[in-house]
Amino acid sequence: MLLYILKRVFQGFITVWFIATATFFAMHNVPGDPLTNDRAMTETTRANLEAKYGLDEPVSTQYLIFLRNLARGDFGISFVQENREVNDIIREHFPVSAILGVLSVVFAATGGVLFGALTALYRNRLPDYLIMFLVILGISVPSFVVAALSQLSLVSLNTLLGFTVLPVAGWGTVMHMLMPALVLGLSTMAYLTRLMRSSMLEVTSSDYVRTAKSKGVPPTRIFTRHQLRNAILPVVTVLGPAIAAITTGGFVVELVFAIPGLGRYFVEAVQQLDYTVIMGTTVFYGAFLVFMVILVDVVYGFVDPRVSLDA
Amino acid sequence: MTANKEDTNVRPSLLIVEDLQVEFDTYGGTVQAVRGVNFSVDQGQTLAIVGESGCGKSVTVQSIMGLIPAPPGRIIAGSARLRGHEILGRKTVGGGEIRGAEIGMIFQDPMTSLNPTMKIGDQIAEPLKVHRGYSARNASLEAVRLLELSRIPEASKRARQYPFEFSGGMLQRAMIAMALSCKPSILIADEPTTALDVTIQAQILDLMLELQKETGMAIILITHDLGVVARMADEVAVMYAGKIVEYGSANDIFYRSAHPYTVGLKEAMPTNDPARQHELKPISGSPPDLFAPPAGCGYCSRCPYAMQICSESPPQNNGLHDHHSASCWLHHPRSGIKPDTLFFGDAL
Ligand SMILES: Nc1ncnc2c1ncn2[C@@H]1O[C@H](COP(=O)(O)OP(=O)(O)O)[C@@H](O)[C@H]1O
Ligand code: SF4
Ligand SMILES: [Mg+2]
Repeated sequence: MLLYILKRVFQGFITVWFIATATFFAMHNVPGDPLTNDRAMTETTRANLEAKYGLDEPVSTQYLIFLRNLARGDFGISFVQENREVNDIIREHFPVSAILGVLSVVFAATGGVLFGALTALYRNRLPDYLIMFLVILGISVPSFVVAALSQLSLVSLNTLLGFTVLPVAGWGTVMHMLMPALVLGLSTMAYLTRLMRSSMLEVTSSDYVRTAKSKGVPPTRIFTRHQLRNAILPVVTVLGPAIAAITTGGFVVELVFAIPGLGRYFVEAVQQLDYTVIMGTTVFYGAFLVFMVILVDVVYGFVDPRVSLDA
Repeated sequence: MTANKEDTNVRPSLLIVEDLQVEFDTYGGTVQAVRGVNFSVDQGQTLAIVGESGCGKSVTVQSIMGLIPAPPGRIIAGSARLRGHEILGRKTVGGGEIRGAEIGMIFQDPMTSLNPTMKIGDQIAEPLKVHRGYSARNASLEAVRLLELSRIPEASKRARQYPFEFSGGMLQRAMIAMALSCKPSILIADEPTTALDVTIQAQILDLMLELQKETGMAIILITHDLGVVARMADEVAVMYAGKIVEYGSANDIFYRSAHPYTVGLKEAMPTNDPARQHELKPISGSPPDLFAPPAGCGYCSRCPYAMQICSESPPQNNGLHDHHSASCWLHHPRSGIKPDTLFFGDAL
């Protein structure tokens, strides 16, 4: 078990190294140069920056410098926001994104499992049709549309009632978090609902549920002891990709709801071609996702007794 | 029919099923899966229901257990009385639960019939908690004892394992332990050995017989294998196209076969005797379409003895002697044929 986790972590590091390398060379092939900015830059600043990153050296040397800094956990200093370390940016803004993401994943997973089980229970009846219609909407409408629409309806709701039910944008209180987390988790919730529904239907017609009935186990107990745990297995397997989808979806939602998360900084950095910030956040996000997937796999080993966590 | 007509001075049977009819609505139409089935089982006895795949054996016993999915299934007529009380469509009889307490059931495929994410011991303990109010601790102790009763070595270690750690034969033993946990008066076994290796098959059947001797339970054994019938059965119901076509003691069925279908089944049965191996004769043709069953005898299109009347109207059930009966025009009182002279009744 421990050996398995160590092996996975080692593989994770290699994956992160790939991500870092790909990002580095991709950035080098982007036209433009962070130093030829429209903002004026003194000759000394320029010289200092060039020296630090070896910008006048050949690409291979720059790559080695990049790797060396990376290994030390030093992502460098922002080119645009002078004197701000990338590490500081991450430290300050990632927690905001993480709270938003965790909340969304919780929304998506509980909603998906709940609605999926419900639709399976009411198969081909009104609740099933209704929820599945919403699921198709949730999957097909892009999150920036949902975000804008939900903001719009919040505005109308607040003006209609004459007080603020939920704030339209910003960050700070739990009230600020609810709407964006819901919007961010919506398409994943829809996807998980569909998955849970089919998984639940399969389990319902399984031989072992028939056995449980033949033992005279009451329906609620069959649901909790026999159906739920087995039906959840496929949902747990896709939780890794689901977390990835929510994390990347966060970029847009943070922008729309004016949330000071890391995603917003990432988008801004890309727009401004802020080298170090782009590379730092990409590698950071990559590492985060890789280790979330490992975590999900380990959790799966606990949920499904047939999966053994031996290396 | 005769099987149910008990003499008044004889104790009534444990379970009496009469005129059971079950249909399924499908996209292709309505399947008449069970078309008027009668049988009875006595305490300590084994009734075998034998017939080709698809003839309605599983639907028959699942109806009794309330396991028919509805929709699409529908029990349209009939009764099943346990010690005189109707149980069809009910969950309890005389305040006690039917499923798992009065009647236990095991299934064809032990590999898929147990919950893959629940420990074997917990699955065996479950009926004890649900029906008998056992505490978690006592239930798991009893589960270990039941596993031992089913001759599973290292029972307490095995109780803590999951189904994937068991072999097929061991799983079927665990299923038996589970089905018998609340000491039911009837065990229904739906093709319990079909999915198992031959040597394991024999062990499972022997275990069932031993446990029957110990507990006095009745067994309803479903199979399509006459070899299994010969080993286990006291009484036999031969089923064809949703009906029981011949009913009698094991001796009646094997030595005084009265229905052409029973004779066909016997001739199609593999034998260990190499000299007779070449005589193996599968029944030609296929069972009738249960979407639109024939007006006359269901076996008509395959029967070497078919007569004009057979295709026109369904044969009634003719009593032969004792509990032996057959639904066939050959045995109609006016046919003038003496039943015993019709077939040779080959010894097995
Ligand atoms: N859930 C179902 N839906 C539709 N038809 C069914 C269903 N279950 C059984 N049947 C039909 O009932 C008939 C008898 O099936 P079954 O009792 O399983 O046969 P067997 O004798 O092999 O156990 C078959 O023709 C089958 O197609
Ligand atoms: S009733 Fe006729 S067709 Fe049917 S089994 Fe008897 S002889 Fe054959
Ligand atoms: Mg069957």
